[in-house]
Order: sequence, then structure tokens, then C-alpha cells
Amino acid sequence: MESSAIENKVMSAREAINRFVNDNDELIIGNYTVGTCCELVYEIVRQKKKGFTLYSQSGILDVDVLVNAGCIDRLVSTYVLRSGGKKGGGAVERAMRAGTLEWEDYTNFNYNARLVAGMHGFSFIQVLEGVMATDLFKKRGFMGEDKYRVIQCPYTGKDILTVPAANPDVCIVHVQRADRDGNAQYWGAMGSVAAAALCSKRIIVSCEEIVEHDVIKSSPHLTIIPSYRVNAVVEIPWGAHPTEVLGYYNLDRFFYGMFMMSNATEEGARAWMDEWVYGCKDREAYIDHYAQKFGSGMLDKLKARAFFSAPANYGSAFISSWDENGRERTMGITLETLEKTMEERGMLCE
Amino acid sequence: MSKKYTLNELLIITCAKEIKDYENVILGVGLPTTAGALAKALYAPHTTLMMESGIIDFEPLIPLNHIADAHSCRGFSYATDLFSAFTMTYRGFVDVCFLGVGQVDKYGNLNTTCIGDYYKPDLRLPGSGGAADFISYAKRTILTMRGGQFVEKLDYFTSPGYLEGGESRNGSGLFPKDSGPSMLLTTKGVFRFDNETKEMYLDKIHPGVTVNDVKKDIPWDLKISSNLTTTERPTDREIDFVRYFAPVESAGRELMMELAVTSVFNHAQERGKM
Repeated sequence: MESSAIENKVMSAREAINRFVNDNDELIIGNYTVGTCCELVYEIVRQKKKGFTLYSQSGILDVDVLVNAGCIDRLVSTYVLRSGGKKGGGAVERAMRAGTLEWEDYTNFNYNARLVAGMHGFSFIQVLEGVMATDLFKKRGFMGEDKYRVIQCPYTGKDILTVPAANPDVCIVHVQRADRDGNAQYWGAMGSVAAAALCSKRIIVSCEEIVEHDVIKSSPHLTIIPSYRVNAVVEIPWGAHPTEVLGYYNLDRFFYGMFMMSNATEEGARAWMDEWVYGCKDREAYIDHYAQKFGSGMLDKLKARAFFSAPANYGSAFISSWDENGRERTMGITLETLEKTMEERGMLCE
Repeated sequence: MSKKYTLNELLIITCAKEIKDYENVILGVGLPTTAGALAKALYAPHTTLMMESGIIDFEPLIPLNHIADAHSCRGFSYATDLFSAFTMTYRGFVDVCFLGVGQVDKYGNLNTTCIGDYYKPDLRLPGSGGAADFISYAKRTILTMRGGQFVEKLDYFTSPGYLEGGESRNGSGLFPKDSGPSMLLTTKGVFRFDNETKEMYLDKIHPGVTVNDVKKDIPWDLKISSNLTTTERPTDREIDFVRYFAPVESAGRELMMELAVTSVFNHAQERGKM
């Protein structure tokens, strides 16, 4: 791990992706359906990184953008929504037909379990065995026999289904807020976000805003990734657009719909990628382009109104061993008296 | 006679009636979330609505965009994770779940993975998501099908219904006893599964639909209930709820898209951009 407290982890998306994402990595998208780390995904595409095995719990725009760009050779996932329903299409389907993409299919739980095993340091984990009746178990992709293995439970003697742990090289994930050290706070639909980050070897966090460390200290229940695991912190307002971030902005249905329509065909997808991914050098340029094309009023309408969580009281009766009269709370004496007593008893050494 | 309704409204309302009070319910996106909201508002106030993303005990205020949509409710009671949402189901705490259907066979086995060859598909459908896990362990499962098809043999077997029928599901040792699909709702009628054979049969047909209309979509000789009835007509109260809560569902996808595009175009024209 390259992370350390003295290192400055705050950097641009360009620097973070350049430093911590390598060709042929196992790459995992931390977010699940909402708050997608779109800008980090786009930056990977702009830097033309490639050869990834991509882990995605459930993808739509994020997975298809990476596949459209030709970054992904192998996909481990449970769900990728097709653009435009039956009449439509999608990057994943096009790539599978062309034979340039292999997909290992799991169920939501069984995929997530691989991350949980990885995050806790186990080599495998027991999973939900219902799929043994189905093709999810019977048909194997590039993982072959290692997709699922059956062992006997040493306690009950029953067959149990297992999956291997996953420990991807790098996780990209978007959260609401983080401090400069990388303590990352996320709330809302928890999905498998924490497990995806914590099972990975390197973690790049993008956030809507960087906050003071004191904010984190007073709300540790919101922290899903501790700073010592994080390699890079990137502040990117609107970093998940067109997906949504709870407390910041809603899903941009109009723009998302536009992506879905474009993505249904290869030409449409290419034009969309040219305009919104390759055509904008960073998120600021993207938002400027959006505002110029559709008016900034469109984004204003998506901004969240406040509905604050009730504060949890992390306070206690006192935070010093010494009371207001300078007496120690248990022994009832001052520091001066304590030192005198210890001297008298011959307890102090030179 | 109550007021006129759309087919989508009928489907949502029929679906909602499957939820009983005090049940724990896993909702899928689209029609089921609106059905869940309707049930909670009208018939089952103590039901706990849950989503696989870990959003537990929520009250939707607008139709949900997807199964991780915390924006469409004002808070919720329990923020757990996906892993726990499924182990909760595995342990038997989920009474009913709702799944959409790509292909279905006569025993309620499902395909939501692909049409054609799995490795080089004609259509690559989304995949299992949580479907195979939920239908495995929820006490019962409601299937909804709007664009899917009935087939003799699934192109890919994603989610287990009653396997080969009869006692095969119970006998496999993989599932809680007597779990499995309890209903299939389509745009033409309501299907249930025979207690003994576990083969699906037509239980109700929607108003204006004939048995032949139903049969022509089905490649096997469909069994029909001896007391086949017509799907209950929605009440004004039910229709009003759906139309206010989820006008886009009342309108349906096509009309919604058409009106949405017009609306965006009009706004742009006002700003002089197009």
C-alpha cells in the first residue's frame, strides 16, 4: 500500500487515474446503481487505459461507457441494463456478439459475497445455493471451475456452494464527502459500496466535497472507507452526473434517457462518447458544456433540498480525568498532591 | 361503475392486492414499487417495504427510478447493505418479492439473461441481478410480465421456479419448503400454479380479453381454471391513488416518452435554443 498519512492524497482525477490505474488491472466500480463514479470512469476512457477485468455489481452507463471505449476484456457482473429495451441494444451486447468481451454472470448476492470474502481476508465464502438448480451454476465463463465450487460443510455434512474471494487491483468510487486524508462518508442505498472498496488493493475516492476532519470525527457512522486504505481523494462536484447523489442532486432523467437512446446503436454511442467523454477534458468542462447546451437551469432543478439526519449525540459527561477543581475524578486529589504522594511512597525513579 | 382506467393501472392494482398487511416485501423497479406504495397506502399499512440495495422500511413519495432510489422517499428506517438484504431473505424474513420476466416456462422458471446462445447472444438481457436469489428464498414470489414471452424451453435458466414441476422444487433440498412463484401477472390475465403439478394455469382474464387471446401467446396446451373469473375492476380510490402517485405509470412508457420529449422541446424553444 502506498497510502500514508503524510502523503498528500488530494489530487485531480487525471493524476489519480494516471498514478493508480494500470492497463490489465482488475478494476472495480464501487458504486451500486446510484452515485456512479462517472467522472473517474470517463477519465479512464480519456487516458485510453485498457485490458481490464471489470467488476460491477450492477451497471448501466458506467459499464457501457467503458465497454464502448474498448477498455474491458472481461466482465464480472450480475446485471447490465440494456439501452432501449428489447428494440434497443448496448455496448456489452455488441462486444459479446463481436467476441471482444466475456462476461461471468453471478447473482447479486453471490457477486457481493466475493467482495465480502476479499474484504475480510478469506479465500472463499459460502453463498446462496439456490442457483445450483440454474444455468448460473451450470454455465461457466472465463472463470471455469473456479466460478463456483461445492464443498461439504464440516459441521452439518451438507453440500455448500462457495465462491472465491475477489481482491481487485483498484476500486474507483464516488461518495458524498471525504476529508483530505481519505476518510470517505457515504449514505443512502448502501448496496455493496463499502465491500467493493475494502476488498481492493488500491482505492480512488471522488467526492462531492472535501470537508474538515472534524466533520468526519463527529459522524463516524457515515464513514465507509477509512483513510488508511485510500490512495487518492478527488473533489468533483457533480462527479456522478447524470446519476444521483443523495443530499446533493437527483437523477438527470432527461440526460440519462438521451444516453440510453444514443447507446442503443454503435453510431449513436460513438457520437455520444465523442461529445460527452472525449469532448470534455474534465468535469468542469463537461458541466460547462451541459449548461451551454441545455441551460444551467436544468441542473439547478436537480439540486437536493435539505432533509437533515437528526444529529447523533457522540458527547459524554466529561473529557478530562480532572474535574473543574483540578481533582482527579477517581482518587479525588490534585496532580500536585498525587506527585507528592508518589514521591513519599518512593515510587518515582530517577 | 367506477371511472375508466388504463391497462397499466389495472396491472398495478392487481399486483398490490397480493400484499397482505404486516408482510415484509421486497420491491423490484417499475410496476411493483407503485404496487407497493398503493398497498401500503390503501390495504396494508403495516407492511415493511424493502429494496435489495439495503433501503428498508420506506414510504415512496414518487415512483422509484430503480432499486437503490433513496431520493423518492423522505428517509427510511434501516440502512443496511445488499449482503444483509439477501441473508435476511435467506433466513426467511421476506414474505413476498416481485420479479419481472423475460422468458417464463410452464413451471415458472425464468430467463432474464439472454435470448439465443449464452456466449454469443442475439439479445443480451440484463442478467440475474437479485432475481435468482430472491425467488429461491422469499416465501412467495409474484411475477410480472409486460414484454416477455412464454416458452417451452428457456434459452438460459436464470431463476428457479418449480423446476420440473410436482415435488421437484421441494425435493431438491435447495429451497425453503413450499416457496416459489405464486402468481404471474401479464397484460392479458392472472396465472397461478397448480398445488400438485405446479404447472401454471389461467386463473383470471382481464376485462375485454378472451381465453383465445391468452392461448395464442403460449406454446403448450394451457390449463384453464374451472372457475375462471375476470380480473376485478379497480375502484375509483385505487385509480385516483395510482394516477396521483405515479402518473407516468398510468400513462405507460410510450405516452410518457412522447410527452416528455415534447416537453423538453417546448422548454428549449422558449429559451431560443432550438
